Amino acid sequence: MSPGEFAAAFDDVVDARLEWLSDNGAWFFDGLNDVLHTGYQAIYSGLTLLPFWVLILVFGALGWRLTASWRFALGAMLGLLLCVAMGLWPQTMSTLALVLSATSMALIIGIPLGVAAGLMPSLDRVSEPVLDLIQTLPPYIYLLPAIALLGYGPGTALLATFIVAIPPVVRLTSLGIRMTPRVFIELGQASGTTGWQQFFKIRLPFALPSIMAGVNQGLMMAFGMVVIAGIVGSGGLGEVIYGAIRTLDIAMSINAAIAIVILTLILDRMAQSASRPGRRAAHES
Amino acid sequence: MNTASEVAEDVLVECQSVWKIFGKNADTAMRAYKERGLSKKQILQDHGCVVGVSNVSLKVKRGEIYCIMGLSGSGKSTLIRMFNRLIDPTSGQILIKGKDLASLDKAALRETRARHIGMVFQSVALLPHRTVLENAAFGLEVRGISKAERHKVAGQALAKVGLSDWAQRYPDELSGGMQQRVGLARAITSDPEVILMDEPFSALDPLIRRQLQDEFRQLTKSLGKSAVFITHDLEEAIRIGDRIAIMKDGVIIQEGTAEDIVLKPADDYVAEFVAGISRLHLVKAHSIMSPAAAHPYLSPGLLPSAGPQADLDALINLMISSGGDALTVAEGGQVLGVITQQDLLRGVQGAPAAEHAAAQPEHAL
Repeated sequence: MSPGEFAAAFDDVVDARLEWLSDNGAWFFDGLNDVLHTGYQAIYSGLTLLPFWVLILVFGALGWRLTASWRFALGAMLGLLLCVAMGLWPQTMSTLALVLSATSMALIIGIPLGVAAGLMPSLDRVSEPVLDLIQTLPPYIYLLPAIALLGYGPGTALLATFIVAIPPVVRLTSLGIRMTPRVFIELGQASGTTGWQQFFKIRLPFALPSIMAGVNQGLMMAFGMVVIAGIVGSGGLGEVIYGAIRTLDIAMSINAAIAIVILTLILDRMAQSASRPGRRAAHES
Repeated sequence: MNTASEVAEDVLVECQSVWKIFGKNADTAMRAYKERGLSKKQILQDHGCVVGVSNVSLKVKRGEIYCIMGLSGSGKSTLIRMFNRLIDPTSGQILIKGKDLASLDKAALRETRARHIGMVFQSVALLPHRTVLENAAFGLEVRGISKAERHKVAGQALAKVGLSDWAQRYPDELSGGMQQRVGLARAITSDPEVILMDEPFSALDPLIRRQLQDEFRQLTKSLGKSAVFITHDLEEAIRIGDRIAIMKDGVIIQEGTAEDIVLKPADDYVAEFVAGISRLHLVKAHSIMSPAAAHPYLSPGLLPSAGPQADLDALINLMISSGGDALTVAEGGQVLGVITQQDLLRGVQGAPAAEHAAAQPEHAL
């Protein structure tokens, strides 16, 4: 068998499997797509239900509360106003909805997984190489199988974004859980804690900064992917940029890029502030 | 003399030939030792196992401060961790208030740890995101005591260590010595009978350390607690301990009071440690006196007299202030012996005549 034939045979197998999967697993993937789409749609409708100026005020208030900096709050509001002025408000909100839904999924699944991996070294040995693989492959790769199985639209974008966002969440959660200093584990045992008490009163508080760093990183990864996912019909700013590239509309692509930068900066700053909890906020027990 | 049952009641911590062997084949190695009497070196070579604690038996009585002194690697930290089963012994039994720790199920073990055995760590281990008060209340929180109640008790414990004003601060606002006081307060908040002290003062500077040693001893005695105190510093062991055990390579090579150890070191290793220790407050009159009959030219009734428990420091003061060159040792009007200048100098040197040392214990009791 020549190398070319071998490659062709391999491709055939992959194609056949994918086809089989999309035929036989249709009920599953359609269901999954519905769930993803519904989640995204709910957040998007929520965001666009209010007039833009109410939402901008909400962002300003939230930013001020989290960062305790009125400059940041003012900057965030001005930035969002700029998005409105560029006529990209619905797209900006659509991108925000995608990022938020993908990141929440990554957190809901990634944090428990990371906790489990942190507590069980055997699970960690399995999850590490998988996470390595996810992170080394170029993110585009996830679009193709996703589009084959879920079809064109935000559901696919959401799934691919979720895959890209989950590794830092799992990894940093697991790291945080494993990093509890030994003497504090001993303190817990010597004080007669139960397993749950040991986890919530000792391990989790020590792991929290690392977990929050994972949340922040997951969020940033999601932002990167959501733009790329414009190709598969994610809607939002990603699709604006993709459209602008195809029509060589440089002005439009720059507008959309500015909107993305504004959104990323705002969310990054807010997430970072939330992840550095004042000790006074963290110790209510 | 106590009767057997009284003795059993008064022993809070008891170790019966306890071993700890680290390594995958610890059980095989243990069996090999029991059946064939392998040496530690052979156990390491044949089984790849390290002997941490080797055949230790000891008893800590109610109200006693028991010091275990040894250098790093002597197994003292491993030993103390077996007293609350942070480490399981490979062989042998640990009894807390007469109950075998190994026989306890999880809930009973938690209960024992929470109520009967407190622990203080070298690195203190105060939870950084909690206030001093919340740290001190941790043991009670774990037991599900209400917030008001546990904060009240923790506040009292903090008052005992002189930190009432710091209750609402965070650990990183406190100095090392203060942090260690919080560690002690946390241990006594749960009102345990035994406190395990794992080199608690080693990281502190010398002045603070002395102060804390004295405070610790006073507090433990006034509360009637027992303590097992681990240290690598013989002077600390002498200041604090009612009894001292010296550990080397996992074995207790000598156990006794500070005076026993300083005056009669079991071997060269102990003697080397003892060499630098000041005898002034350790050596008592009964250990250095000679029989009155040995000095026929002295008339004991006319000499200044001291009790058998007077230490060298007091004896020197007495001799100098009286201007004479001999003292009597008397108790209840009865002359026990005399101390000449020579005896005193020998005592400072730490080399009492062998026959005296052997003859004295009856007088001491």
